Amino acid sequence: MSRDYDYTIEAPIIEQNPSHSHINDAIARPLETKPTWKYYLALGISTSMLLFGVVCWGYTFYYGIGMWGNNQPIGWAFDIVNFVFWIGIGHAGTLISAILFLLRQRWRTGIARFAEAMTIFAVITAGLFPLFHVGRPWLAGYLFPLPNQHHLWINFTSPLIWDVFAVSTYLTVSFVFWYIGLIPDFAMLRDRTTNKFKKTIYSILSFGWRHSNRHWHHYEMLYLVLAGFATPLVLSVHTIVSFDFAVSILPGWHTTIFPPYFVAGAVFSGFGMVQNVLIIIRKVFDLEHIITIDTLEKMNKVILATGMMVGYAYAIEFFIAWYSGNQFESFVFINRALGNYAWAYWVMVSCNVVFTQLFWFKKIRRSIIPMFIIGVLVNVGMWFERFVIVVTTLSKDFLPTNWASYIPTLYDTGILIGSFGLFFTLVILFIRTMPVVSISEVKGVVEIFKKQH
Amino acid sequence: MEDKRYWKFFDELQDTAKSEKLKQEEFPEGLKSDKGFEQTQGINRRKFLALTASTAAIFATACSDYRDKGSIVPYNQQPENIQIGKPNFYASTCTSCLNHCGILIKTREGRPLKIDGNPDHPINKGKICPIGQASILNLYHPERLRKPLKKNGKSFNELNWNTLFTEILASLEKASNNGKIVAILSQPIFSPTFVKLIYMFQAKYPTTKVYTYSYLESYSKEQAWEEFYPKAKLSEFDFSRANVILAIESNFLANEGNFVRNIQDFVSKRDINRPNEFSRFYSVETDLSLTGANADYRIPLKADFHYEFLATLLNELLKRDLNYNRAIVEKIQGKFSRFNLEDFASKAGVDIKLVRNLIDDLIQNKGKTAVIAGDSHFYEVHLLCLLINEVLGNSSIYRICPQPSLPKSKLFEIEELVTLMNQGKVGVLFNLDTNPVFHFPSDLGFENALSKVESVVSFVEFESETANRSHYIVPISHNFESWGDYYDGIGLFSTIQPVIEPLFGTYQKEDFLLSLVQNKLERGIYHKYLKSNWQESYFSQEKYAVDFEKFWHSVLHDGTFELKQTLINDYTPNFELFDKIEHRFGTKDWVLVIKKPYFIGDGKFLNNGWLNELPHPITKVTWDNYAGISQSDANRLGLKNGDIVELGYGKSKLEIPIFVVPGIPSSSVVIEAGFGRKESGIVAENVGFYVGKILQFETTKKGYIFEKISLNKINKSYQIATTVEHHSLNDTFYSELHKKRHIIQEGLLEDYKNGKYHIHRPHELKSIVPEIKYTDVKWAMVIDMNKCVGCGACIMACNVENNIPVVGKDQVLRSREMQWIRVDTYFSGTAENPEVSFQTMLCQHCDDAPCENVCPVVATVHSSDGLNLMVYNRCVGTRYCSNNCPYKVRRFNFFDFRSHFKNGLLYKDTYKLANNPEVTVRSRGVMEKCTFCIQRITEARHQAIAENKPLRGNGVRTACQEACPANAITFGDMNDKESELYQLRNHKLGYYVLEELNVKPNVTYIAKLRNKKSEVGA
Repeated sequence: MSRDYDYTIEAPIIEQNPSHSHINDAIARPLETKPTWKYYLALGISTSMLLFGVVCWGYTFYYGIGMWGNNQPIGWAFDIVNFVFWIGIGHAGTLISAILFLLRQRWRTGIARFAEAMTIFAVITAGLFPLFHVGRPWLAGYLFPLPNQHHLWINFTSPLIWDVFAVSTYLTVSFVFWYIGLIPDFAMLRDRTTNKFKKTIYSILSFGWRHSNRHWHHYEMLYLVLAGFATPLVLSVHTIVSFDFAVSILPGWHTTIFPPYFVAGAVFSGFGMVQNVLIIIRKVFDLEHIITIDTLEKMNKVILATGMMVGYAYAIEFFIAWYSGNQFESFVFINRALGNYAWAYWVMVSCNVVFTQLFWFKKIRRSIIPMFIIGVLVNVGMWFERFVIVVTTLSKDFLPTNWASYIPTLYDTGILIGSFGLFFTLVILFIRTMPVVSISEVKGVVEIFKKQH
Repeated sequence: MEDKRYWKFFDELQDTAKSEKLKQEEFPEGLKSDKGFEQTQGINRRKFLALTASTAAIFATACSDYRDKGSIVPYNQQPENIQIGKPNFYASTCTSCLNHCGILIKTREGRPLKIDGNPDHPINKGKICPIGQASILNLYHPERLRKPLKKNGKSFNELNWNTLFTEILASLEKASNNGKIVAILSQPIFSPTFVKLIYMFQAKYPTTKVYTYSYLESYSKEQAWEEFYPKAKLSEFDFSRANVILAIESNFLANEGNFVRNIQDFVSKRDINRPNEFSRFYSVETDLSLTGANADYRIPLKADFHYEFLATLLNELLKRDLNYNRAIVEKIQGKFSRFNLEDFASKAGVDIKLVRNLIDDLIQNKGKTAVIAGDSHFYEVHLLCLLINEVLGNSSIYRICPQPSLPKSKLFEIEELVTLMNQGKVGVLFNLDTNPVFHFPSDLGFENALSKVESVVSFVEFESETANRSHYIVPISHNFESWGDYYDGIGLFSTIQPVIEPLFGTYQKEDFLLSLVQNKLERGIYHKYLKSNWQESYFSQEKYAVDFEKFWHSVLHDGTFELKQTLINDYTPNFELFDKIEHRFGTKDWVLVIKKPYFIGDGKFLNNGWLNELPHPITKVTWDNYAGISQSDANRLGLKNGDIVELGYGKSKLEIPIFVVPGIPSSSVVIEAGFGRKESGIVAENVGFYVGKILQFETTKKGYIFEKISLNKINKSYQIATTVEHHSLNDTFYSELHKKRHIIQEGLLEDYKNGKYHIHRPHELKSIVPEIKYTDVKWAMVIDMNKCVGCGACIMACNVENNIPVVGKDQVLRSREMQWIRVDTYFSGTAENPEVSFQTMLCQHCDDAPCENVCPVVATVHSSDGLNLMVYNRCVGTRYCSNNCPYKVRRFNFFDFRSHFKNGLLYKDTYKLANNPEVTVRSRGVMEKCTFCIQRITEARHQAIAENKPLRGNGVRTACQEACPANAITFGDMNDKESELYQLRNHKLGYYVLEELNVKPNVTYIAKLRNKKSEVGA
């Protein structure tokens, strides 16, 4: 096998040189066969988790935020931790589909569709938290610039308003981008199906796509434009989410490093999640030749790189705390590493910085089980990163008499579990209703077809 | 200037009729239908839209939850003196404790709302303690008894007032016919009219005996006084005249004597503008009390060493030139010569330099020093204090204490009563709103003795341990629904007048007793009796130019009335006492000190949520009492806060959680009594631990200090709710942060006088946004930490004024207390002998408020007079403002706390009446915080507009300022250069907390000056 040694030749993205019809069959199979009991089991588990979250949130809605562990001074805890976490997860999708598209990273084709879908689901999940975490959720509409007879307007100096715009824009653009990519595939599915009902739905969804040359021409153009449009959003969303903290005056939040640090962290955790879920999908649906081990290895490299960026940020925070000579700042960071939430800090550091170093070894980068475990740890670590930032900072700020500790309640945990339930329910429904890999794009990167030109 | 004419079209220029018509009509012709709406036929577009809109509106309102929330009935005829929306103030007297402070009750539309001190009252001078303020909640308490009850087996049956009256009358007659005793048990009585009534009662029922007592009273102080100064009435110190104060386990700033007056007197010698008049205060104590925390020098010393300490001090003093009768000095000296300072200092571990310093101070200020022992201390300790004061000539700064109208019973008399009860010689026992079953140690057997009495009648407002063991329960009216008077025995009268009709149709106890004398139950009879007594006893004694009605109304109006009389107290000491005095010596055994509670009186206020939630001044514990022990003992025994220990005294045992209190010497346990009531309603459920179990009546006669205690760890623990986190003082990471961060700034008085003391000020900081100029009134506050003693009156005033809900212990444990103002307590130094600093913290109303820019919905904004405002209606509750507040003074409604607390107790019928109608009751999910009492500012502004005067800052007083007994809070207009506020704000001792953040706070703190000598312990 010469490609293992010859680095001048790009490794094939799709293995085994499958034919068009094989690609069609392989990707469309889950949509055209009856699901097995395993599918229902998976759906059952995720909807149960979702239901648990809904019940916990129902109690919160009825009785108030007091059902959670939040207190004075810790006004934000799991609610905002989960929000930032899910927004972070939602970062990989657009990065893979837009930025890697513009950078001509063709290995993205196998994973782009799925990653984009995950982005949308993660942003939907994340978007619920800012609305639910408010004290009076029935008035959450006040957060939007809705004209009213009282001449009440929103406060454009508040980072939370920036969040509203950033997240809603990101969701809209990601959705449009994802949907545009789906149109040729819907048309293909429309052509394949014999079921009248499905045919109608796919006909509507495919917007009359006829695979014509003009269609393809416009499609490619639009895709390129949208990719260009989505690219800055990848950077802006988490930058703005980081402003929620950086714009405040609290030591430990008020830091200029936050925007790049948050973006790197978001890509890091997003890749971790995409890698995790794809490992399962490719196994379950026999797509190992389409979502190849090479692709996974590349993702692992991204995880390694972003993990080190995050690690650098951790180090520089400490350095600046010492270098600034600001006693509040140094207290906060020493307290993070040695105070009563030190365990959370060290979970974060070990998961995000220490364990990912194993990806320096090619063997680990290319073995499924170790990389899966590291991927899980990355997300555990990133969740704890947000916990450390939000909770430990608030628990000990300026006046020692304000300090308190945060203990999550059943409802906090329930809503966290419910958010995973919602995310996975959407993912599981997605894999049965839409092609998890972009059929049309994959066709374009199969070696055998390339050589014919 | 030329008056130009502008025109829009030629017709207008030509000014035709058509153009006039055009100008008047909104739409030009052709844009509207020429028929009116009613005239149109069938359905057209406009009609369709109109009908759709109105149908939608009807459905929208029909579906909304806008039910009728009760009817509003306006006054048919406006009562005199009531103006809707304007409060009326009535002078009265507080009966929450025995100090009987003069109060001013604010009422709106006939509803009492807030209690403040009566400014015309010469004793408390317009100030009042937290209990007095919170007593309004007792008036409206839904658990107040409403119907008379009669015991039936184990439960009670309701009966009507007349039956009750006849049955009680019958039992009284039966008892007096059979020669059985009718015992009346009451708190000490200070009402001259009520005493007359009791004499009348005794005349009718000759076997009547009256017993009066007050909780946690050992009489050792009175006994020592009576024996030492046989001819003088009991006196106390006037701290405004004391240059040096030495307190021995005394809490005179918090709950001993008239502490409201004591605070005022004490802080009158803490005025930064008169630095030469500062007093120096030494405190020797076991417990770290609020009083000890305010001492310049605090000497932690186990209670059993106090006698030795005083004896040594006396011995050293007598060696100096005191200019006292030589013969007597020599005689006493012989008795005390064995107490050597060096030996004592090494035995008790006291800093000898400090004691020498104290001796020098006492000598130098001879005649102007006060040596005072705590009420609960040993007889011998009181005696030594009296002796030291005598030889130092301190009697010149004594003043006479209020004297009860009926002499207090001695404890042995109570013991006699129990014996009589047990012998079946007591036919009827009237319990006048006391609770002896709870108050007296269990070994007295009061509960058992009660069952031997033929009929026990309890006149109470609430159920209690004693009331539940009575045959009849007579619900009585609250003080605010009653008539009464008070006389302090030395010339000062004050009156009690009702400000509301009895809410539950109850009788005041005096009405009922007087009716029993006259054989007919009659409401308001005591009112007539009171007036006639005043006419006879006081009005007719002097020659007044007015008739009695006018005289009476002017007394009621003022609330007080002073008889001019010269007070002579003959301080002739009896030195023979010392021939037989028994010396006490400290040991290494455990000592238990029982202290009076800070905020719950004699346990009566344990069912008052506001008072339970008021944090303990030192430890910030709410809803509980605990056994305070030292850090070193806790370490040695492996105990942490909340671990339960078993205390043993003789055969009695008590299980109680410990709490580490800085400054308690080792082998000492301090417990506050009055907690742990089992039968006092749902608010007091599971609040604290009952100390009566371990106490022994015999020992309490000598004082509330118990020696030879055992303390054993048992493997149980309990959750204690505090409003702050406690960190070990020995942990260098956390210790002294308040000083490192310049939150607390303080220095030595000496340095300040020499001009050496400097406040830390960060370098001038610039803002990137243009500064907003406040040219008109701008509100600001100054808090003088030299005056603030940390009593908590401001917190309670704010609770009452601003409708602060009670959140309950579970929510305090979750750190969700709602008080808008708090008193932060910081400790520095060692855990063995800490220095304490208090800081009142509230919204700082920063000019560049960090909370404002982060609110997404503009629910918190700045006003043009410099206030940081909260718009509750707009708030959605993101809590971002609170996160970004460096002072963390914002409070979030995590629940609807009113319905969360005890299943909606605060929403139950009468409780709602306690709300101040001027202040919004906040719903759940909104943020709230101190408003600088904006309702009062607005009222002042309305007033100024009505009078067409400019609004001045001086007239507005915030609730906390009004309540502060120390006058530590000043509020006003910082642009008014003549105001007191302006002077203080620009004082060189003034600083802002967290000034380097440049949020520009509007609350200035005046740095505390400690009157220590730099070479001794500073």
